[in-house]
Amino acid sequence: MSAPAEVVPGSSTHAIDVRDLGVRYNLRFTRKTTFRQSFSGLLRRGEGAKEFWALRDVTFRIVHGESLAVIGPNGAGKSTLLQVLAGIIIPSAGSVDVRGQVSSLLTLGAGFDLELTGRDNILLAGAFLGIDSGEMKRRMDSIVQYADIGEFMDAPIKTYSSGMRARLGFAIATSVDPDILLLDEVLATGDATFRAKSKIRVLELVRGAKAIVLVTHDMNWVTEYCNRAILLEKGHVVIEGDPAEVVRVHEERSARAKAERDAAIAAGRPVG
Amino acid sequence: MSAISEAPSSYRHSAVRPSSLALLREAIREIGSRRRLIQYLVQADLKKKGSDTLLGNLWWVIDPLLQMLVYVVLVSVIFVRGQDDYPLFIFAAILPWKWFTSSIQDGITSVVSQEKLIKQIQFPKIVLPFAATTSGIVNFAFGMIPLGLLLVLFYGNRLTPNLAFIVPIAAVQFTFTLALALFVSSVNVFFRDLGNVVRHILRLWFYLSPGLYAISTLNDSAILKSHPTLQAVAEANPFAILFTAYRSVIYGSSQPNLPPGPPAWEGLVGLLLGSLVLLALTTLVFKRLEPSFAKVL
Repeated sequence: MSAPAEVVPGSSTHAIDVRDLGVRYNLRFTRKTTFRQSFSGLLRRGEGAKEFWALRDVTFRIVHGESLAVIGPNGAGKSTLLQVLAGIIIPSAGSVDVRGQVSSLLTLGAGFDLELTGRDNILLAGAFLGIDSGEMKRRMDSIVQYADIGEFMDAPIKTYSSGMRARLGFAIATSVDPDILLLDEVLATGDATFRAKSKIRVLELVRGAKAIVLVTHDMNWVTEYCNRAILLEKGHVVIEGDPAEVVRVHEERSARAKAERDAAIAAGRPVG
Repeated sequence: MSAISEAPSSYRHSAVRPSSLALLREAIREIGSRRRLIQYLVQADLKKKGSDTLLGNLWWVIDPLLQMLVYVVLVSVIFVRGQDDYPLFIFAAILPWKWFTSSIQDGITSVVSQEKLIKQIQFPKIVLPFAATTSGIVNFAFGMIPLGLLLVLFYGNRLTPNLAFIVPIAAVQFTFTLALALFVSSVNVFFRDLGNVVRHILRLWFYLSPGLYAISTLNDSAILKSHPTLQAVAEANPFAILFTAYRSVIYGSSQPNLPPGPPAWEGLVGLLLGSLVLLALTTLVFKRLEPSFAKVL
């Protein structure tokens, strides 16, 4: 908690500097299905409104060498925060300054073209990520080796099992060597063997990266690998600081929220 | 400050609203720097369209021929009218029209179909409609095969070097198509029923354009003769200009009966300039809407 406060504004030591960040969704154009998936918890509250703030007044700073855990209940805005850091969503308020090559392991298997072979998809994914094709061809062998799906590499992706797809996606996503690594629950894919293998690779990346932002529901990861944590609820930062402390607050608050929900159900009132 | 994903650092502020000129320049840079991605997308598209069917890419040759046959039966057998060498007369319009409609229809869904990817990585979305439109060129090029067959086998007397003019005419058509594809691909993100509307607009557009008939037929119709404004609209119709140009280099003219010759350049140049202005405008629409794609999809 001590390091970021000492950094002079505008100095080059920070990797990520987020100030008063707000992300607004215009509900008239957002399909309800997507909306429901992304913000299930807030759907009822936001109904009738024209807009909705997925994030509001979020301020934090990460210096090189830090790893930040972002925790919070579903619909708190954790994934939106990662999307902003990855440059996918532009802030509606405030500013975001990200210094260094960003890679998000959000990309597992997204954008695979089912008709193309695994090999073609590796090249296509590289082109989408903006990686030079020569560089991608050099990486090809290590990706093929790591994905370990044998002859399927030259078969269309539509013939793959979901486990094979996850492995190929993981192999592509982790073939990069980023300065800033964004992780969103990546370890929940694949079979047990691959999960163990992928955990090792993620830890390698974590050690190699200059800064990490990790979104997870696994509190062990938070306390084990992160030196800072923030708790998001309904788009606001509730607490920021020492991982163990933030996890404790989170668990307290979610236990209380659950108790309130149970009480409401017991009393026959609508939940909300 | 750059929005390009490979840029090592990025600063984004809510208050920064790039100027129109900066957006246009960015769009050009994005297309230039992502040539490889466009190439892969086009290749993937072609591979996909060829697989899963018995005859594969052979359909690109057969399809326009069958379509021509339908119109020939309809017009010359049922309505008992038509021009000399009617099959070639309409084939000169069917080929570019097929190219146009397939590009627009692929363009409409080009952004929406990459929904997952758009929500997960940052890349210039403009490559998607650009690739969809570009892969249409290949489709059109394949259409040259049945055209060549028709000319060599049945209409040898109309086979002239003027066919080379197809290239500049197609370039004008590509510019116009790209401009429209950028527009429909971005608007479709917000209004998903655009595809349904466009399908009907396209059909009406074809019948109102001199594809199955000569432009002189249109000009002779009673309604156009009494409404000069309508006549001006009919003549400014991009596909009146394009069909007439294609027809003059492939077929010639039916009334008066003339062999193939160079197209009327004034109309084409005017259409090219108009398309470039339209392209700048729709690129701006696309770039202004682009930041919202990830939120709306």
